[in-house]
Amino acid sequence: MEAIWLYQFRLIVIGDSTVGKSCLIRRFTEGRFAQVSDPTVGVDFFSRLVEIEPGKRIKLQIWDTAGQERFRSITRAYYRNSVGGLLLFDITNRRSFQNVHDWLEEARSHVQPHSIVFLLVGHKCDLEPQRQVTRQEAEKLAGAYGMRYVETSARDAINVEHAFTELTRDIFQLVRGGDITIQEGWEGVKSGFVPNVVHSSEEVTKSDRRCLC
Amino acid sequence: MEKAYNVSSPPGFCVDVNEKGTSGTYVTQPLSQGTAEAAARISKHVSRDETGCSDSRESGEAGEDIGRSTVLVTDSPSGGTVSNCVIPEPGCDSATNGFTGSTMVGAKAGNSSAIAAVNREEMDGNALQGISLAEKNKESSAEEVNACYPPLNFVTAAETVESLTHSCNGQLELSCTAASRTVPEGLSNWDTDSVIQSTLSSDAVIRPPINWSMTPDKEAKMANGGLFIGHSSAKLHTETVVTIILDGAATCLSNTQCEKPSSIAMSAREGHHESCNIRVEPDGAGAQPRTQANVAGDLSGGATSNLTSQGLPSSPAPTKDPCRVSAKPGTIQGEEPSASGHLGDDLSSRPHPQALRTRTVPNSLSYDSSTILSPGDEDGETFVELGAQGHSDLRFMDVSLSSRNTFESSRRLSAPGDIPEGLSVISEDPSELALQSKRPGIAEYFGRSLFPKKQREPKGPSQNVPGWKLFGKVPARESAPKDSRTIQQEFEARVGKAGPGGTSAGTSPTQPQQGRRKNLEFEPLSTTALILEDRPANLPAKSVEEAQRHRQEYDEMVAEAKKRELKEAQRKRKEMKERFKLEESIANAMVVWNNDILPNWENTRNTRRVRELWWQGLPPNVRGKVWSLAIGNELNITPELYEIFLSRAKERWRSFSETGSETEADDGASLADRESSLDLIKLDISRTFPPLFIFQKGGPYHDLLHSVLGAYTCYRPDVGYVQGMSFIAAVLILNLEEADAFIAFANLLNKPCQLAFFRVDHDLMLKYFAAFEVFFEENLPRLFNHFQSSNLTPDLYLIDWIFTLYSKSLPLDVACRVWDVFCRDGEEFLFRTGLGILRLYEDVLLQMDFIRSAQFLTRLPEDIGSDRLFACIAAAPMLNGNKKWSQVFHALIKDNKDMDRNCNPALKSL
Repeated sequence: MEAIWLYQFRLIVIGDSTVGKSCLIRRFTEGRFAQVSDPTVGVDFFSRLVEIEPGKRIKLQIWDTAGQERFRSITRAYYRNSVGGLLLFDITNRRSFQNVHDWLEEARSHVQPHSIVFLLVGHKCDLEPQRQVTRQEAEKLAGAYGMRYVETSARDAINVEHAFTELTRDIFQLVRGGDITIQEGWEGVKSGFVPNVVHSSEEVTKSDRRCLC
Repeated sequence: MEKAYNVSSPPGFCVDVNEKGTSGTYVTQPLSQGTAEAAARISKHVSRDETGCSDSRESGEAGEDIGRSTVLVTDSPSGGTVSNCVIPEPGCDSATNGFTGSTMVGAKAGNSSAIAAVNREEMDGNALQGISLAEKNKESSAEEVNACYPPLNFVTAAETVESLTHSCNGQLELSCTAASRTVPEGLSNWDTDSVIQSTLSSDAVIRPPINWSMTPDKEAKMANGGLFIGHSSAKLHTETVVTIILDGAATCLSNTQCEKPSSIAMSAREGHHESCNIRVEPDGAGAQPRTQANVAGDLSGGATSNLTSQGLPSSPAPTKDPCRVSAKPGTIQGEEPSASGHLGDDLSSRPHPQALRTRTVPNSLSYDSSTILSPGDEDGETFVELGAQGHSDLRFMDVSLSSRNTFESSRRLSAPGDIPEGLSVISEDPSELALQSKRPGIAEYFGRSLFPKKQREPKGPSQNVPGWKLFGKVPARESAPKDSRTIQQEFEARVGKAGPGGTSAGTSPTQPQQGRRKNLEFEPLSTTALILEDRPANLPAKSVEEAQRHRQEYDEMVAEAKKRELKEAQRKRKEMKERFKLEESIANAMVVWNNDILPNWENTRNTRRVRELWWQGLPPNVRGKVWSLAIGNELNITPELYEIFLSRAKERWRSFSETGSETEADDGASLADRESSLDLIKLDISRTFPPLFIFQKGGPYHDLLHSVLGAYTCYRPDVGYVQGMSFIAAVLILNLEEADAFIAFANLLNKPCQLAFFRVDHDLMLKYFAAFEVFFEENLPRLFNHFQSSNLTPDLYLIDWIFTLYSKSLPLDVACRVWDVFCRDGEEFLFRTGLGILRLYEDVLLQMDFIRSAQFLTRLPEDIGSDRLFACIAAAPMLNGNKKWSQVFHALIKDNKDMDRNCNPALKSL
C-alpha cells in the first residue's frame, strides 16, 4: 500500500488552454518539465503526497482539466467533488487573465452545495519580458475573490511546490477547523489511514460549511 | 535438405536500394512485396521506424564523402550478419565505420581507390544501416552511373567482383579457421565479401565451404544464401547497389558459362561442378547474361545444387536434390529463365544493354525487391521459405561470431593491386564494347575467384592494405599483416588437409598468438578488441604461470562472450522470424487487398472473408484507401472544395495576424473563441505526436496538419476546432493524401458519435457512456463493480479515448488497427475497444484505487500489444442479452426522452 496519509484532497486545476496547467502539475508530481506535452482531452489525473507538517501527510489527487472552452461542459461536472482548485492564467497572455472571472463564476455555479478553495496562479513567470499582467493587478483580483495569488514557473521550477503546499495547508486548516467536513458521497476530502498520530480533535464533525470562494 | 534454403535469411534481401534515398530497406521487404509500390511504402515505414539517419551517417562516414561510389550491400546467408561494402571513388580515403565490429577496408587502385567496408553486425541494425548507406551513395552515384550507363555499372560490379574475389580468397582461409566449428561462419564471411561483387566472387567464396565444410546442411544453407545474394547482385548491376553472391549465384554463373540456360534445374545441379569448371572457361562473358538469368532461376536450383554438391566440391555429378529443393527451382524455372528471371533480367542486361536500360529507367525502389521477387507468388514463397528456414538454422550464430574474420578477409580483398584493371575498364566505356572487352577480364575474375586456393594465391592481399583495426585506423604495417597472417595460420592449421589453402598466404611466420587462437573455434564479436597482446618489450616478461593465467582468463572471457552472443543471436533470430512472418502476412494481405478486394469494393466489403481479413489489420499501404472507402464521402466534398476552404482559412489567419489579438475583447466570446481556436490549432499541432517529430514546426507534415484543421474550422464553423481533432487529422494525414485526408476527416467527424463528442453534446455523450456501461457490466461484472465502488465513471477515461479515437492513448500502430475495425464496424467498435482494454488489464485494475486506475487508464502502458488487445476485444461481444449496441443505445436515448423530467439521467438506466 502507499505511504500513509491523513487526508486526501481532491484538487482541480483549471484555466484557459495552453496556460500550462499540465506542465505545472507535472513539475509538481513528476519533478520534470516537458517541453511538449499532449493537449489534455477531458481530464488527466495525478497524485502526490505532501507533508504539510512533520508527520502530517496529505495525499493530493489532482485533476487536470482540458482548458478549451468547448470542454467546459464536461469539466464543470468535476468541480463538485473537488475541495480545492488552482486557477491558472498565463502572465504573458492577458486574455487568460481576463477569463479568470469567468472561470470563477463557472466554478461557483457548479460547485454547489459545496465550495472550492481556490488559489490564483500566474503561470510562466519565467517569461518576465513578455509579461502582460502585472503582479499588482493579479493580486488585486485575487484579493477581491478572497484568494491567494502565487506566480509560478514550471520551466524554472519557481514556486511550484509553494503553490500546492500553500493551498493544501489552507484546506487543511479549514478541515481542521471544521469549516470543511468529510461527507459521504463527496470526494473532496477523504480521511486516510492514520498512523500513530492522534488527530481526534481534528476529526471531522458535522458542521455547516460555508462558501469559501 | 530443407535446410539448404535456410541460408537465405530474410535480411539478405535488404539489399534494396532506394533511389529516393528516403528510406532504408527492410530485410523482409523484398520477400513480401509483390509490387514496387509496396516496396517503396514499406521502406518508408521502415525508415521511419528503424533506419535512423544517424545510423546511416555513422556507417557512411566513408560513404558520404564519396561522390560517386558503388555501394554494395551484402547479406550473409546466415541471416544474422550483414555486411556492407562501399566502393568509393578514387581519391577517397577509407574510413572506419562507426559500427562496432565493423571494419572497413580500403585499397587504392590505379584509377580509383576502392574501399570496401564490411560491416558485420546483427541483421537488424546492419541490414538497415547498410541500406541507408547504399541509399545515400546511390542517390549521388548510383543514379548517375547506373541510370546513365548501365553497362558501366555492370563493369563496376565486375571489377568489384574482382576485388571481392580476392577477398574471398582471404576469407577462405578465414573460413577454415572457423570451419572446424561451423561451416556457416566461413560462409557468411564469404558471402559478405562476395556479396559486394557479383556472382563471380561468390563462387570462390562458396567453394571453400564446400571443400572444407563438414556439414552438408550448413553448406546447403550457404548455397541458399548465395541464391539470394545472387538476386541482389543482379540488382546491383542495374541500380548500382550490389548484393551478395552465394554459391547459388556462382553456380548459376557457371551454368551460364556452360551455356545450359535452357534447363535450369539441370544447370542448378550441374552448376556446381560446372562452377568448378568455370575457372577454366573464361569466355563465360558471352554466356553471362543467360547465366544470370539462369541464376535467377537457379537461385533455388543453385542452392540445391550446392547442397547436393556440398560434400563433393570437385565431383561433377552432384547428388540429386531433395524433393524440396528441386521443387523450388522448378517454380522459378517456370518463369522463363533467360528473360523472365528476375535476377536473370538484371544480369542479362549486361549482354543486352537495352534491357538494362529499361530496367534501369525505373530506378525505383521497387526494383530491388519487387522486381526480383515479383514475378510470381511462387517466387515470393520460395523466398519466404528460405528465409524462414534460415532462421531456424543455428548457423546464424556462428556467422555472427566469425565476423572478425570477415573483416580481415575484406581487407585483403581491397588490396590495390587487384582492382585497378577492373576499374579502368569501368571508366572507359559504358558501351557494350567496353563490356565485351571487359569480359575476358571477368573471366579472369571467375578463374581467380573460383579456384582461389588451388590455382593461385590471392595477391598478397594483406601486405598492401593499409592497416585497419576494429576501432580505428592503425598504422598499416603493424596490424594488418599480422592479422592476416594469423588468420592464415589458423586456416592452415585447421584446414591443413585442404591443401590448397596452405599454399596461399600460409608462408607467413607463425605467431605466438596462433596457438591460443587455434583453440577458439571462433572469436565472439564483442571480444575482438580483447586481443591478448604480448607484453611490450620494455617490460619484464610475464612469468609462465602468469601468462598461463592470463591466457586462461582470456579464454574464459571469450567463452563467456561467446555464450552471450549465442544467446543474443538466438533471441535475434527469433525476433527476425516473427518479424519475417509478420512481413510475410502483410505482404500477402496486401496482394489480396489490392488485387481482389479493392477492385470490387462494394461487392466484397461485407463478405466474411474480407471482414476477417479486415480484422487482422490492414496492410499499411492499403490502409488509407480502405479507410477512405469505408468512411465514405456522404458530404460530397471534393478536393476543390477543400481548396476553397483552405484558402478561406489562410485568409483568416492572415487577417488575424494583421489585427493581432486586440479585437477579441470587443467582439465578444464567439470571435474570441474562434480566434483562440485558430491559436489553439497552432499550439496543438506541435503537441500532436511529438515523438514523431513530423508535425512539429519545421516538420514535414506541420503545414499539412495546419491546413486540414484550418480548412475544417472554415468548413464547419459550428463545430470548429476541438482539442483531440489534431490527432485524428494527423493519423489520417499519415495514411492519406492531403485532400483525401480532409475528406475523410470531415466525413468521419460527421458521424453521429463524433459529432456528439466534438460538439460536446453532453447529454448525448452521457448516453454513450451509459450504453457503454451496460456492456461493461455485462462483460466484466467484477471490474464494473470495482469501478462503481470507487466512483470511477467511464467518462473519465472514455472521453480521451473517443475524442482521439485512441490515437493518443494507444501506440500508433495499435491505434491504426483499432481504426481499421472502427471503419468496418462503426462507433460500436470504439466502445468495444474500450471494453477490450479494460479486459486486458482487468486484473491490474482490480488492485487499484480510484486515482491509480484513472491514471492508468488515461495513460495506458506503452507496450500494449495489438494482438493481445485484439484478443481481448474479440472476447468482448457487444451483446446485451440479445440486444446489440445500437439497440441498447437507442433504447437509452428513448428512455431519456421519456424520463426527461427526472433530474437524474442515470448512467445506468437499463
